[in-house]
Amino acid sequence: MTLTWELLVFLFLASTALLSALWVINAKEIVHSVIGLVSCFIAIGCLFIMLNAEFVAIVQFLVYVGAVTIVILFGIMLTRREIMESERK
Amino acid sequence: MNLFEFCYGIIHWLVDLVNNLWYRLGDVLPWYFGDFFTGVGDFAASDSHLSFMTILLESIIIILVALINVLNFLWIFRKISGRILDFYGPYYVGYRIGGWLQNLADGIKLFLKEIIVPTKADKLGFFLAPIIFVGSSLLILSVIPLSENFGLSTNSSGEYVPAGALFALAAFSIAPFAILLAGWSSNNKYTLIGGMRSAAQMMSYEIPLILCAASVFLLAGSFNFVDIVDAQRDIWFFVPMFIGFVVFLVCLIAEVEIVPFDLPEAEAELVEGWTTEYGGMRFGLFYMTTAIRSYAGGALATALFLGGWQGPSLIPDEIWFLIKAYIVYTVFMWLTWSVPRIRIDQMLGLGWRRLLPLAVLNLLIAAVLKTGGWF
Repeated sequence: MTLTWELLVFLFLASTALLSALWVINAKEIVHSVIGLVSCFIAIGCLFIMLNAEFVAIVQFLVYVGAVTIVILFGIMLTRREIMESERK
Repeated sequence: MNLFEFCYGIIHWLVDLVNNLWYRLGDVLPWYFGDFFTGVGDFAASDSHLSFMTILLESIIIILVALINVLNFLWIFRKISGRILDFYGPYYVGYRIGGWLQNLADGIKLFLKEIIVPTKADKLGFFLAPIIFVGSSLLILSVIPLSENFGLSTNSSGEYVPAGALFALAAFSIAPFAILLAGWSSNNKYTLIGGMRSAAQMMSYEIPLILCAASVFLLAGSFNFVDIVDAQRDIWFFVPMFIGFVVFLVCLIAEVEIVPFDLPEAEAELVEGWTTEYGGMRFGLFYMTTAIRSYAGGALATALFLGGWQGPSLIPDEIWFLIKAYIVYTVFMWLTWSVPRIRIDQMLGLGWRRLLPLAVLNLLIAAVLKTGGWF
């Protein structure tokens, strides 16, 4: 197997997607899970670009990453009393 | 010669130069080092590595050129606001060139300040928010070509990033996430309100923005910057779609968050909005990113509606593009200092009840023009 940048970039993107997906489940703060969700979506979008599906990738950025803001809004407005979870005594 | 060929030449020359020394070093050393040295040298000279480095160099050059323009934009911002509010604006630092160096002086001042993180802030979000905000804004700059020969491409044929215009709009839409993250992680009620307002404003003004861009894509039949500009060879798109042009400009001002729409950082109501807790260069990055997004907005309006780099060939194409972008930015500044800020209860009403129907009407006009066979 010869070493190319394509392989390195693929390994980086795939591991980013997997690790951030794990972080979504394990994070304590709900907003930290959302950060993980965003990096997972962006890594998957970049994988689409590597598969020559640019339009799907752009729609992934536009729809999923854009709409994640709403997830944070719901996370803040529906689940908290204090501004942050960690402040709850 | 386009930018790709130029960068490829430079990278090829550099790799040859380094590899020459590298192989000689490998010859001197024992064989087990020598094999490793030849392996690294062969990888450096392979096609994959050369084109990767070329694309990297291209994007660095494009972003540097754009950032120099952003410095000019900050200077124009200060000069025009000074002139409209009846004072001189900066003139002392860099006296001969009209105070142009004032922004560099401010940048040095911000670099020397201490970065203060509030005790109860969420460290991760507080650290990541400026990075995401600046990064997503630089991503917009990297796909905007200044002419047919000056843009990011992956091969020497001169074809740019596929669906580049849509990609720029997609990169625009990452920003509310960063702003809401900054507002939440500062752990302050004013920053949180500012972040909430910013999320509401940016999400709702994005829809008319993208609908206006969609009517341009419909007439041009492509998402590519070069094809869109080529489609405007006979008539610039702001003439048949004047409503769309006006709606696009208003939505751009709302996306960039300059004064008629700077509700997220309304300094009379919320101390400094979502940037309240940020100081030093982190605040400087937010401030600079506003200018970056103004430049990107001006460039998008130029490419989609004002004919891009087209103009009499007396002046080079790139300069034509920049002149138009500067004119769009000057119009932004003119609006900024002559229109009062809208109230928070009017913000969503304006976006959803006025601009969205106008954008749909514009899309209808574009569809009629397309089916009528004029384009």
